[in-house]
Amino acid sequence: MSDAVSRLRRLTALILKGFLLLGTALSLVTVLLIIAYITRDALPFFKLRGPGELFTSTAWYPSGHPPEFGALAILVGSGLVTLGSILVAVPLGIAAAIALSDILPYRLRQTVKPVIEILAAIPSVAYGFFALVIFAPLLQNRGGSLLAIALWLIALPLGLLLIFVVTDAATRSIRADVALTARLILAAVLAVILVRGLLALSAKLTTLRIASGTNALNVSIILGIMALPTIISVAEDSLQAAGRELREGSYALGATRAETLFKVIIPASGSGIIAAIILGVMRAVGETMVVWMASGNAAQIPSPWFNFLTPVRTLTATIAGDMGEADQVLGSGRYHVLFALALCLLLTSFAANLASEWILRRQQRKLGGLK
Amino acid sequence: MILSSQRSIPSLQGPAIMNENGLKAHVACQDFSFFYYDNQAVKNVSLDFPSYQVTAIIGPSGCGKSTLLRSINRMNDLIPGSRTSGELLFDGQDIYSPRLDVVTLRRRIGMVFQKPNPFPKSIFNNVAYGRRLHDTRNHEELRSIVETSLHRAGLWEEVKDRLGDNALSLSGGQQQRLCIARALAVDPEILLMDEPTSALDPRATARIEDLIAELRGRYTIIIVTHNMQQAARVSDFTAFLYEGQLIEYGQTAQIFTKPREKQTEDYMTGRFG
Amino acid sequence: MNLGSRKLFDRSLTGISIMAVILMALSLLVLLGPIFSRGLGAFFFRATCEHRRLVLEQFGRGDEKEIAAEIQAVALARRPLYRMLEEFEVEMRGMEFARRQGFRAELKEVTGLLRELLGPLPGEPEGVMLRQQYGQTRWDRARIKLEQILYSEQWDYSDKSSMGKKVLIPRQQSFAGTRLEPLFPYLKNNLGKMLRPRLVFYWRFLTDISMDAHFFGGIWPEILGTVYLTLGAMIFAIPFGIIAAIYLSEFAAAGRLVSMLRVCISTLAGVPSIVFGLFGLAFFINTLHLSRSKSVLAGSATLALLILPTIIRSAEESLKAVPHTYKEAALSLGASQLRMVLTVLLPAALPGILTGIIISMGRAAGETAPIIFTAAVSVGQPLKIWETLSQPTPALPWNIYNLATEHQAVDEIRHVQYGMVLTLVLLVLLLNLAAIMIRARISKKMRG
Repeated sequence: MSDAVSRLRRLTALILKGFLLLGTALSLVTVLLIIAYITRDALPFFKLRGPGELFTSTAWYPSGHPPEFGALAILVGSGLVTLGSILVAVPLGIAAAIALSDILPYRLRQTVKPVIEILAAIPSVAYGFFALVIFAPLLQNRGGSLLAIALWLIALPLGLLLIFVVTDAATRSIRADVALTARLILAAVLAVILVRGLLALSAKLTTLRIASGTNALNVSIILGIMALPTIISVAEDSLQAAGRELREGSYALGATRAETLFKVIIPASGSGIIAAIILGVMRAVGETMVVWMASGNAAQIPSPWFNFLTPVRTLTATIAGDMGEADQVLGSGRYHVLFALALCLLLTSFAANLASEWILRRQQRKLGGLK
Repeated sequence: MILSSQRSIPSLQGPAIMNENGLKAHVACQDFSFFYYDNQAVKNVSLDFPSYQVTAIIGPSGCGKSTLLRSINRMNDLIPGSRTSGELLFDGQDIYSPRLDVVTLRRRIGMVFQKPNPFPKSIFNNVAYGRRLHDTRNHEELRSIVETSLHRAGLWEEVKDRLGDNALSLSGGQQQRLCIARALAVDPEILLMDEPTSALDPRATARIEDLIAELRGRYTIIIVTHNMQQAARVSDFTAFLYEGQLIEYGQTAQIFTKPREKQTEDYMTGRFG
Repeated sequence: MNLGSRKLFDRSLTGISIMAVILMALSLLVLLGPIFSRGLGAFFFRATCEHRRLVLEQFGRGDEKEIAAEIQAVALARRPLYRMLEEFEVEMRGMEFARRQGFRAELKEVTGLLRELLGPLPGEPEGVMLRQQYGQTRWDRARIKLEQILYSEQWDYSDKSSMGKKVLIPRQQSFAGTRLEPLFPYLKNNLGKMLRPRLVFYWRFLTDISMDAHFFGGIWPEILGTVYLTLGAMIFAIPFGIIAAIYLSEFAAAGRLVSMLRVCISTLAGVPSIVFGLFGLAFFINTLHLSRSKSVLAGSATLALLILPTIIRSAEESLKAVPHTYKEAALSLGASQLRMVLTVLLPAALPGILTGIIISMGRAAGETAPIIFTAAVSVGQPLKIWETLSQPTPALPWNIYNLATEHQAVDEIRHVQYGMVLTLVLLVLLLNLAAIMIRARISKKMRG
């Protein structure tokens, strides 16, 4: 091949590579532009009102005279529904991930995966519609009984398990022949306490009147379900990545499946599970439609703060809701404060993303030594 | 009779004690077959693994020797679609009987795998893992058990000052010895070794082979290997498997010098496999 | 722990994790069940003669003669009703003032409801809005209206300890002894003759435009809007996505630039959708002036940014999954890298890339937040293609929100809301199903 031709070839290859790089760099450019434009339109707000009021005051009257921009209640609202969705999604998600990676046989696993994919594919506005039109009236009319049923379903098995573990620990130091009877007596006593406690609590719950079905509880449950697919798939990948050899090593020493999971596999893939939780949380924090439609949109801090049955307002719903009116008056505090809120959201999502990336990379290195 | 979890634990210094039936640390199979779905990996094998001796199972790859080994501590239960027929006896009891407790079985039969698989925990916690599960929580007891097991595995001198280090920081040969120590720590009667040195360099291999010679007499050792010379070096008895069937079994010296079957001789001389 | 405890713990774990999976499957059922069953109600329902009249007069479909005959028959059935009203009016004029006043309010209510049920009363001028020109088009809604006519709602606050209770009082009682009293049983017994409900499969719900703020008609503008937005987003995102995937899998050397690019891609994937919406407003509309205000163009561009990371990730995965041997064979035959990519790599990875694209389409179709400020309006005509560059459009996700929350008569058009949700969910699910089938065919081919 002649020199000229080969040089031409190399030149074309270089141009091609440059062209591809440029195309790829679009994502870099986009991220920079997003940061730039959100910050650019958020700064005027901070110049106008300073950062203090936004984060410490609960008086949110952007169209009032004079306007007030206290977003504390909104921040608390976002935090509350995020917490609620974690409480729903993490136990369910990790238990389901364990089922998929270690417990279900192959054929069942293949049937469950489409269910997860469908849950992930349903548009958020459909979830929001469900939350508003079907779930909210249900909570309002029958909320008390629903909560009571949920209480029994969750607390009874967990309570029994707890009793089991406690009696085991308590009677370990007693002589073997007496231990069994002592254990049974202790268990019976604790079980009676448990059942009576649950009965009292559920009686109180059934008489509970939920004033409004669109509240933090509604949104937390729906957001939790939306976060499930993310948590399950990342956690399951993590559990699988621990590998067959670790599991075999543990089983060969006479460990049960639960012991293998809790003492070897989950510690080995722990960081992956944490990354899964962070990613799921990110999904919940950034969700707009569900909270806009079903959180009640009341900018107030519930009293007490953990009262999920009160309406709340989140950052995303505020931005979506207020922008319609604010757009009319460009340059106003109303317009820019929404960008300030968006900046908060953006920074949170960056932080969470970086954290989960770092954790995932660390896990790969930790297990890499074994591979 | 269900294997009792309350067997008398021998002292870590002395020899093993006989159990109720008078048979000691003894594995045998009678007309044993193993299937996964329609595939029969082990075909009607009848074999006796003498107590406190080293028995090697050799044969070309795919002949079913690993499958047979893994049937002894029921690791094959983890494979979907697995079935057995015939009997596999441990101290006279059929380990595939439905009333048998697999957890206890696996405590009494230890296993070392082809690729070293230490847990991503500290060296101490690796060795102590099994014992913590089954009975001991007392730190003093665990310490002495860990020390003894590491001694027995020939690893103590190298790691005694860094028991808290991550096990993955050890070399391949050291990791394998760690796995052996981990298996010994639960005080098994039988030790199963599935090609334990095939992932190791010659020096590490030699160390493991010396180790096997030391452990003999205290444990019944069954070792699967595709390396005939290794079988000749370490074992007292050898079984030759081909395509799932037992072709020949006898004292190692005899098998390697005067094999009775032609297939055995062909394998020895490298005509196949 | 002794052995028994350990085994019990093991069984509990098995039980709990299986329960979690069951709970998840149940929640899917609870979510989709009502949406499907009530959503189908937008398509399959008992339609009244009002519906047929509407379809004929507004959409020009139907048998004129048949419908004219039906109108006549229905008028016949309704005449006694109207006569009772007239007679009662006469009766009222003869009453003393106080009694007359007593009836006036309730009569107004009843006649208002009758108008909603059957359409304008004979001799009255037609209202301006379309909904005033027709009675109930659906039999299920007609029955609800009937209940409202037959019973009036009152609240009983006598019991101080609990909330007020709703009490239904038959209106027949209130009008007892007057000429109006027989109206109520007559209405109840003859509503069928007055409306002639017949089961219909209104599949044109998908292709009819909506009339009078979705009181009548279908959801075609929304469907078209969603299609435009989705296709627009793909047009922008696919080229850039594939280019980036090719670069990352074939040409990128491991280094700081590349890992930073990857971090950017995953960062982009984590940005909340509403922030994309704000960015679209601030950048595409207010800075680049792609359009003077909202438009499909701006909305598509915003959506494209949203789905770009997904396309890059799935395309890169598919490219990486192509066996080395294919690439090496081409290169060893003297093909340049570009030629190898275009003629061997891309075709081999195409099914996988297609899967990723289809799933992203589903995502783009369902997203609301990015289009709120950039492309979506609540009411509008279906756009022609050139109009998409400058005009906003109704879209399924946005209109679902709008109809369910900000609409004037949220309860009257529930069936439309459910119909929209069903359509959107089915659209997304069908796209995902297509992707799954393609993926299944690939793995079958790979396994040979």
